[in-house]
Parts: sequence; C-alpha cells; structure tokens
Amino acid sequence: MKQTLNIITIVVLVISLSSCYGDKRKPNARYMASTDMYAPVGYETYAKNPNFKNGLEAQAPVEGTIFRGEVPYEIPNTEDGYVLAKETLKSPLEINEKNLSKGKELYTIYCAVCHGNKGDGQGILVKREKFLGIPNYKDREITEGSIYHVIMYGRNMMGSHASQLKNNERWQIVQYVEELRANLLQ
Amino acid sequence: MMSHYEAPIREPLIIGNKSYHDITVDVAAPVEGKANKKWWIAFTIALVAFLYGIGAILYTIGTGIGVWGLNNRINWAWDITNFVWWVGIGHAGTLISAVLLLFRQKWRMGINRSAEAMTIFAVFQAGLFPIIHMGRVWNAFYVLPIPNALGSLWVNFNSPLLWDVFAISTYLSVSLVFWYTGLLPDFAMLRDRAVRPFQKKIYSLLSFGWSGRLKDWQRFEEVSLVLAGLATPLVLSVHTIVSMDFATSVIPGWHSTIFPPYFVAGAIFSGFAMVQTLLLIMRKVSNLEAYITKVHIENMNKVILLTGGIVSVAYITEFFIGWYSGSSYEDYTYLSVGAATGPYWWAFWALITCNFIFPQTLWFKKLRTNFVWSFFISIVINIGMWFERFDIIVIDLSRGHLPSSWTMFSPTFVDVAIFIGTIGFFFVLFLLYARTFPVIAQAELKSILKSSGENYKKLRGDNHE
Repeated sequence: MKQTLNIITIVVLVISLSSCYGDKRKPNARYMASTDMYAPVGYETYAKNPNFKNGLEAQAPVEGTIFRGEVPYEIPNTEDGYVLAKETLKSPLEINEKNLSKGKELYTIYCAVCHGNKGDGQGILVKREKFLGIPNYKDREITEGSIYHVIMYGRNMMGSHASQLKNNERWQIVQYVEELRANLLQ
Repeated sequence: MMSHYEAPIREPLIIGNKSYHDITVDVAAPVEGKANKKWWIAFTIALVAFLYGIGAILYTIGTGIGVWGLNNRINWAWDITNFVWWVGIGHAGTLISAVLLLFRQKWRMGINRSAEAMTIFAVFQAGLFPIIHMGRVWNAFYVLPIPNALGSLWVNFNSPLLWDVFAISTYLSVSLVFWYTGLLPDFAMLRDRAVRPFQKKIYSLLSFGWSGRLKDWQRFEEVSLVLAGLATPLVLSVHTIVSMDFATSVIPGWHSTIFPPYFVAGAIFSGFAMVQTLLLIMRKVSNLEAYITKVHIENMNKVILLTGGIVSVAYITEFFIGWYSGSSYEDYTYLSVGAATGPYWWAFWALITCNFIFPQTLWFKKLRTNFVWSFFISIVINIGMWFERFDIIVIDLSRGHLPSSWTMFSPTFVDVAIFIGTIGFFFVLFLLYARTFPVIAQAELKSILKSSGENYKKLRGDNHE
C-alpha cells in the first residue's frame, strides 16, 4: 500500500514537473483549442491572408478614394507646395487651453524625442548624439501652415507623421509648436 | 416462541420450510453457480444494445446535437424524456429500502437489494443524458463551482439544471453508500462460503472484513436507520428538483405548482413498475420464489395502485386547471382538449390508457395477485410513464405562446439508438449484478424468518390452538 502511494506520488510529481520544460517559444497547449473559439473564423486586421498577393489582410485603399469624415490634403509635397502652405494654410482650430494641452501631450510623444521638450532642437536622441542637425524652432521662419505641411510630408531628414496623427491632432501639435516658438523667441 | 406475538392475519413472507441455512444456500446459489445459456443470450443482447448506444453517443458528440431530431422550438425531447424516465425508475429502489424501512415494512426485505441495484443502475443511465445532451460535453465540468483561472467564474445557483447536478450526484452517492453498507454482511457470507481462492479474495475485499460482532450489528442498524432517514427526504427532493426543470419555467403546461409532488408520485409509480418487471423475472430465473412471494407482488401492486391514483388525480387536476385558469395558452398543454385532439393525440391517449386506465385493474385482487397480469401492467406503466414525460416535454414545447413557432418533433435514429443503448447498459449492469451480488439481503431476511416464515407461523398457529 505504502509502495503504491510512493509510486503514485512520483508519477504525479514527474508529470507536473515535466510541464516546466519544453520549447518556451511555442505557445502553450490549449484545452480543446481546435473546436472552441480561440482562432477567429473571420479575418483580423493585421493577420495574414493568403488570398492576397502580398499575404496581408490589411490592404491599401484605392488611390483617390475619400473616407467619409476625412478631408484630403491637397497641397503637393514639393518646394512650391511648402511655400504655398506656409503662406496660405490656416489652422481650423481655435487657440485654447484644451487644444494646447492636447498638443503638448502629442508633441511630447511624437516630436520631443528629437526636437526637445522646449523645441530647441535638444531632444534626447540629439543629446546622445545618435544624429545631429535638428534645428531650433527660433532659428527658422515657420508658420502654422508650414508646420502642418512638414508634419504631413516630412522635410529633409524628418519623415512624414501623417499616419501617426489624425488631422485635428496635427493642428493641435501645430498650436503647441507655435507657443514653444513664441517662448523661445522671447 | 410463545413470547412473540404477531397477528395471525399476516401472511408469511418466506414460503416453504426454510431454515437459516436454506436462505444462505438459495441466495448464494446464483453467485456460486455457473451462468446458463439463457443468461448469456440475454447478456449478449443487452451488450449489443449497449455498444450500439455507445456508438450513437460517440456519433452525437463527434458530429453535433444536430444529429438528433431536436429543432429550434422543441429543444428538449428524447434526451430529457429519457433522463426523467430513468431518474423516475430509480426512485422506487430508495423508496423500498428507505421509506419502507422507516415504516418497518418487513416485506421490503425480500426485494430491497434488487430495488436498490435498480436505482443505482437507472441513475447511471439517467446521469448520461444531462451530459450527452450538452452541445459541448467537454466543458461539462463548468457546472461545478470550482475555483478557476477565469477570475473564479462561478455557476449561477438559480438554475434547476444546476440543482439537478447536485441532486443526481448526491442521490447516486447516497444510494450507493446505503446499498453498499447493506451488502457488507452478505458479501461476508459469500466470502465465507467461497471455495475458489479468487472468489474468496474478491469477496473478502468487498466485504471489508465484516465479522458480524454485536457492536458491528448495533452500528450497522443505526447507520441503516440514519441513512434511511436521510434518503427519504432525498428521494422526495431529487425528483422535485427534476420536476422544477419544468415547473420553474414560463412555458404553458410546464409552469405548474403541482409538478413536484406529482413527479415524485410518478417516479414511485414507474419505479415500482420497473421493480415489478425485474423481480417477476428474477424470482423465476434465480429460483427465489420462496422469498419474492405473491405477498410481495401484491404489496407492490398496491403501492403502484396508490401512486397511480395520485398521478391520476394530478392528471385530472392539470386538465381541470387548464380549463379553469381561463388562459387560452393552457388550451394546448399536454393535458388539455387541444392535446387530446391535436397532432399529438396518440401520445396523449397513450398516456391516459397506460397510466390512467390499465393500472386501475389492480383494484381487483384476482388481477393484483396474478403474476402474468402484474408483469403486463408493469410493462404498460413503464411505457405510459415514458409517454407522460414525452407529453409534458414535447407537447408543451410544440404549442407555445407564438403560433408562428408551432412545430412538430420527430426523433432520428440516433435519439432512438441512445435510448436503446441505455436500456442495454441497464440490463448489462443488472445481469452482471444478478450473477455476482447476493440479490436478496439474506442477513435481513434471516431476521424475519422466525416471525414471518411460513413454517414458524404455522408452528405458532398450532401452539395457540
């Protein structure tokens, strides 16, 4: 009787310890995973989709189509476009605390890493000398239109931030950058 | 002998010139002997039916519940009908061993062992249905309130289906323990008689070293009485809970406060019928005619008559209330004019004929004490009680509140196969039991030999005159 008990104990112990080993990079076993609803039947946004040539479920929309609720940015990504935006483009937002604080938040996330919290071109990447050449806002003639244009398309070393930010978020950042510049110019 | 008074009007419960040893020999004979051809034939048939049922169950689980005849409206039919039928059958065993013990009925001793065995085997069958009728059997363990990794997600204790889980599992375990404690002295008897070492080993394991000392017997009696006292409310509550699967719903015909006692009465009714069926065969094939006598059969018929009467009153009440309530929805319930003349008229009349009309013949002593007629009636009642559950479930679901969802049910072969399979499984177990277990509680029987044995009664009668 005692021997049987010992054997049972050892077997249980071995089984439970064996779960500690094995390939850690593989997902764990799931109970009845093939019948129950673990895997989606529909296609998930970033999942693979073998039906398309590039194998992605996320397909780009057709060129020239406009989503409901969105206004396309029509100034082209050229030097002329930059000048045009600088001179004619105006912010649709009113200047208020709410927009500014939101703008500050977004600026801290997306811009400050290079441009610095004050907009003086002393972001953390610059300080660590990962790359150089980030200008101070006070050294450049920039308007709200030109700031928006640069966020949209990028300029020189800077890439486009159009996919990270929505239209009104860009304008909120613009508002905050203008304030930073005003502070730097003082 | 002279100090004992027993009314001379009482009929003997043990027939023939039996001694203690005779009882032992008679009870041990089927266990110690070899199975005959008829047993093997019966066992093979039962086994085939059982395997067929297993196949149907596996097919259901592998393919889905859609292989049954259920539809969107009638989503319970043969599964729950059979479940309630089997649970009902199981009730007589506990009634015989517990309630009759509380009432000090000595005639129970000839039949209680087999009745209890029947209970346990019937509850096994019943227990299958709540599991296999699930869409996802493999998640059945979620019905248990076990602490888990889902934020300790719990069960809802408001559902009668959960109460069913507790009721059936408790019922099975208590019945099993009650039955088994009763078996100890009998296993000990078989152990002591066994000549083959293997048999000896088995029965000494089964009998837990029972040595029949005074203190053991004293405690044995006490435990039996306590368990009988516990099993009695259990037997009443289990089928009550089963009835609440229906009675707590809002479906016309189901929502009825009469269900709990009516279902229990029906359970005893059908259970006794099943005991009758089995014992009438058993007394013949196992040569137990001296212990399962005409008195036993008659007494069981009386209980059948009583519970059949209660059930009949319940039918009339349901029919009356259906009309008296003035609710138009009650016009189509399983006991209503709508049911009697509707598409399920045959099921309605099967119920009335089998449960309401035929059992009334038991009022006549001649028929009540007739073995053939008793056997016939017991079969009829089992059919009738199956139809009672079928009618309650299917007729009520087929004609609900919305006429646009009125529909019919027809079973597929899988429904039928599973039912046949459970019958096969039941008989597999029962046939095995009849060959390996002491089918009569000989220890108890020996306690009444001198008060109710035919020879002792005669002796007493002679002395008095």
